[in-house]
Amino acid sequence: MVNEYLKPKTLDEALAALAVPGSVALAGGTWLLVGEEHGTKGDLGRAVDIGELVPSDIGRKGTTARVGAGATFQALADSPALPACLRKSALSMANRNTRNRATLGGNLGADKSCASLVPILLALDATLEYAVRGADGKAATKTAPLAAWLERKDGLALTVSFEAPAGLLAASGRASRTACDVATATVGAAYRLEGGAVKDLRIAMGGFGPRARRMPKLEALFEGKALPDKAGIEKLAEPLLDAISDQRGSAAYKKRRGAVILADALAGAEALS
Amino acid sequence: MKVNFELNGRAASWNVEPGTTLLDALRAKGIVSVRNGCDGEGSCGLCAVLLDGKQVNSCQILAVQVEGKKVYTVDFYSKDRKLSGVQQALIDAACVQCGYCTPAVTLALHELLERSPDPSGDEVRDALSGTLCRCTGYEQFFNAARIAAKRLKEPAYAEAAAPEFAPELRHVGKDRGKVDAAALARGERAFVEDKVPSDACHLLILQSPHAHAWVRKVDVSKAEKLPGVVAVVTKDNCPDQVYTTAGQGFPEPSPHDQRMFPRKVRHVGDRVAAVLAESLEEARAALAAIEVEYEVLPPVLSIAEARRPGAPVVHHGKVSYVVGDPPAGSSTEGDGRDDPIVYQFPLHADPHRNLAASVADGIGDVDKGFAEADVVIERTYKGNRVQCTPMEPHVVLAKVEADRLVLHASTQVPWHVRRIVSRVVGLPEHKVRIIKERVGGGFGAKQDIVVEDLAGYLAWKTGRTVFFRYDRAQEFAASRTRHLMEITVKLGAKKDGTLTAILMKLDADTGPYGQHCLTVPMNAISKSLPLLLCDNARFEVKSYYTNLAPAGAYQGYGAPKGSFALQTALAELAAELGMDQLELIEKNRVRSGSRIEILRSLGEGRPGAAVTLGECGLGEMIARGKKAFAWDAPRSAADGDWRIGRGAVIIQQGSGLPGLDAANAELRLLQGGTLLMLSGGADLGTGLDTVTTKAAAEIMGLDMEDVAVVSGDTDTTPFDKGAYASSGTYFSGNAAVKAAEDLKRKCLEAAAVMLGESVSDLVLVHRGVVKGKKGQVTLAELAHQGVQGEGHHELTGFGNFKTEHAAFPYGAHFVEAAVNVRSGEVKLRRYHAYQDCGTPINPALALGQIYGGVMKAVGHSLYEELLFDEKGKPLNLGFLDYKIPSIYEVPEDFHVELVPVADEVGPFGGKSVSEISLNGSAPAIAIAIHDAVGAWCREWPFTPERILRAMGKLS
Repeated sequence: MVNEYLKPKTLDEALAALAVPGSVALAGGTWLLVGEEHGTKGDLGRAVDIGELVPSDIGRKGTTARVGAGATFQALADSPALPACLRKSALSMANRNTRNRATLGGNLGADKSCASLVPILLALDATLEYAVRGADGKAATKTAPLAAWLERKDGLALTVSFEAPAGLLAASGRASRTACDVATATVGAAYRLEGGAVKDLRIAMGGFGPRARRMPKLEALFEGKALPDKAGIEKLAEPLLDAISDQRGSAAYKKRRGAVILADALAGAEALS
Repeated sequence: MKVNFELNGRAASWNVEPGTTLLDALRAKGIVSVRNGCDGEGSCGLCAVLLDGKQVNSCQILAVQVEGKKVYTVDFYSKDRKLSGVQQALIDAACVQCGYCTPAVTLALHELLERSPDPSGDEVRDALSGTLCRCTGYEQFFNAARIAAKRLKEPAYAEAAAPEFAPELRHVGKDRGKVDAAALARGERAFVEDKVPSDACHLLILQSPHAHAWVRKVDVSKAEKLPGVVAVVTKDNCPDQVYTTAGQGFPEPSPHDQRMFPRKVRHVGDRVAAVLAESLEEARAALAAIEVEYEVLPPVLSIAEARRPGAPVVHHGKVSYVVGDPPAGSSTEGDGRDDPIVYQFPLHADPHRNLAASVADGIGDVDKGFAEADVVIERTYKGNRVQCTPMEPHVVLAKVEADRLVLHASTQVPWHVRRIVSRVVGLPEHKVRIIKERVGGGFGAKQDIVVEDLAGYLAWKTGRTVFFRYDRAQEFAASRTRHLMEITVKLGAKKDGTLTAILMKLDADTGPYGQHCLTVPMNAISKSLPLLLCDNARFEVKSYYTNLAPAGAYQGYGAPKGSFALQTALAELAAELGMDQLELIEKNRVRSGSRIEILRSLGEGRPGAAVTLGECGLGEMIARGKKAFAWDAPRSAADGDWRIGRGAVIIQQGSGLPGLDAANAELRLLQGGTLLMLSGGADLGTGLDTVTTKAAAEIMGLDMEDVAVVSGDTDTTPFDKGAYASSGTYFSGNAAVKAAEDLKRKCLEAAAVMLGESVSDLVLVHRGVVKGKKGQVTLAELAHQGVQGEGHHELTGFGNFKTEHAAFPYGAHFVEAAVNVRSGEVKLRRYHAYQDCGTPINPALALGQIYGGVMKAVGHSLYEELLFDEKGKPLNLGFLDYKIPSIYEVPEDFHVELVPVADEVGPFGGKSVSEISLNGSAPAIAIAIHDAVGAWCREWPFTPERILRAMGKLS
């Protein structure tokens, strides 16, 4: 239950409000308010509504794409400025009702293993601009690799940016029981091809640990080599995936599905522009 | 906090608590068109609003967050009782069944047409992706979107929603609109939850966290002292009697084995205590203050465990029989501690060995039949527990009025509710009134008395108005599920495919209580075996108690599982014989004039009798399916990782319970010559009220607008057995026909006196005019004379329907599926359902019933399964984790075709239509999967994991 609701007018006020223990940042609310209707969510305490404070614009200059943390999933899915792999990941989120409300910032902040956007953004080596409260109480803007920020999640996410240079190939994928399901496994992958060999391979996956993260062991399997066929990728990747059994499937099945979507992503990666 | 915003085009300034969701705030202000189907998960979309022009879920938005924004609900489009183009299109396309989701669908299509005036199918799919509907199967939503879009440019645009039938009739067989559709499309107050007064008390229950445990002590002393608490009930102060919650005809073929609060809890979610308080928050606080001591027992979590000698005993109370003796060798002495069990008559049970009921019978000599066979196969099939998931959970409003107990219920069985609640509360039936409100989906779950007993008891005990609603998690854990069944089928056949013997051994898991414990499993036999002609056939059915979720009725009532087992086994036999599966079906299926001997053994508790079938449409249906699927042409080629396969099955159902059930209706001629139909039938959104309205209008020579219908009210309408066993159209519809015929006869007799002519010279013509050779009189004039001192009496017709005649609807379902050989995923490329429902009374609604039934069956075939951990705790208690199909799962080519074969007893030749449509998916999909990848899936749902295992690709 939300006991107190604040809607700060400035970033300074928002960061000050969030510094109070028991405060949570609220934007779309599609994750935070699950169960709020029936009082099953527990005590959320103070909700600090930052939905209209953080940027929500989506744009692209040259090879650099920028997405405001307040952008909704539907806005991402509809944006011609973004590469197909990112739009596909945005479109995979639940359904249109939810996509109209859920935000990029919320997805990063919640940082769930099934997060729709995190794997592809990690694969694209995205950078995050975020605001922290300085010693003077004023908001200060910082920039960090998204991967690093996700490990500490300090401050307030503002804008994600990534490079989409010529020659970079990328793809995203997910496995789920039905189209609107929570993902069993997700993947984002990006690489270049040099002389038929994979270079600068980045693979991030969800569903194989508490958070969606880069998978260095998987990357090492294929870096600098020609990609095997899908069966070959699956055979190499499956033993390296670590999963738990739950209502979405056994560990063995999840490893299989993970290997399959990874193979599909690597084999189907496309140029970003 | 104050929030200022625009609501439906008008300024609004509301005071709300910080944690109040927009959904709660809207409903509190009387905007009831926003519905609550998932309790804040955001997974059902029924609470949708347009927020600054975009469709969002109002359960996941705090009311304070809409400051300065524009909020639109469906009420905006319903001003002055008008309908928007989208609302009218939804009605015209027969998309309004229970109507619980209709406001959300309306908003989604308005938003879609705003941004895309000529939407593609993919855009419709995307727009409706957030709205779950369990009734319609989504397919007709595409038609509604197309109609609404075309009317933007061409307001008079119209298209037929279905073919027309019965050309000699004015209303029957034609699409005339569903009588309650407009009110539901407007989002008017129609459901129980819409009628809760602000001073109603809230009832919450404390549920067991253990699958099996003695309730040693329930300390409610702290809870009782909390503010706002009106009453607390536990095992210690509830009525000390057992009853069954099964809404079946009395005496029920279900053991009376459930106490309002059991001394021993038998499943996670079983009742431990209830709190009635003046507010929801106070009820929650009191619930949290109750302290319980349990003595945890080892649970029984499978059929195998239940039948194991020495297994834990789920029910150990004294067993007694109202009529008849216990089976020889069964145990009846209780342990002195557990609640008793009372059987109304013997069901071959032995509860202390966890056997709730059993039966075995057959015809011929199966051993001889198997000995004569050239090929014998034996296979075991398993259908897991699935949930009905009506979008409106179980809900009831109970109150005391004029020293009587009145329940506003969402039920399929008002009269059974009255009987059971009367008994539980200790009142004679005349002191209890049940008013069936619009029902937001039933599907069998609301054939049981799940919430009404407790709410009625507390209302009577306290004199307070009681609102009791299951939340979605409770609906999953403690409502009613489809029985888990394990069915072993043994088939013997000659080389040419002629069946020589059929043996079906069925074990069912009835869960902690025995409602429907025998009748559901028996229906798996009685709606599958009679499809095949074989001189030697036998079945053995056993139903076991376990400590898993309560089982009960679910559309199809066991038949989907029997059909899955027998039809799949038949296809497996065809594979063994090297025959085409349809060739084997053709060799052995029933046909016009067949003598169905197995019905001698399937008497629904009474002596059965063989039946000589009249006309049977199976041949025509199979022929149409074969043509559409080019059955004799080469199979489709593989598509990358996807392999293509197809399957076909034949199916059947019944139309009510001949000799067991009855329905009644009364039709009154009102002033002005209009009609009031008082139908005992319970319309669950199926269109039954439209059936009875059509019957009255057709027979009385009026238009449907001249008929009002009141149904399912135990005070004002006559008895009806309720909406189950595919009986609505056949029984309740026939009662309406008889009432109309009775009124017509009385009108002609009265007119004969007024006109001075013989009745035989009179004819009732459209619109309500009795014409004779010399003169004429209108129904309005006849009605007027009925209320004058010097005229005849008020003209009222009464109809009672019961029959010994069994009317079987048949069907043939064809599937083309693509199976991914790497992932195990299945896509349904084509699904064709050819079905005989006799004369379709409401053709487009009949199509909708079939689309909806098929999609529910696609759900249990591919996605749905209630899962439990090793202690019996349910794992997936919401739509986030229990996946019912959304519009994305609708087959690419989804086609339903009515192939009517009129029934001589049915109303205007009608038969049942809905339940049968759930019987085809599982076997047809299983056969198609095998056709695609060569693996037999014998356990539903056929998840990708199970398919990979069947293919040997996952160990």
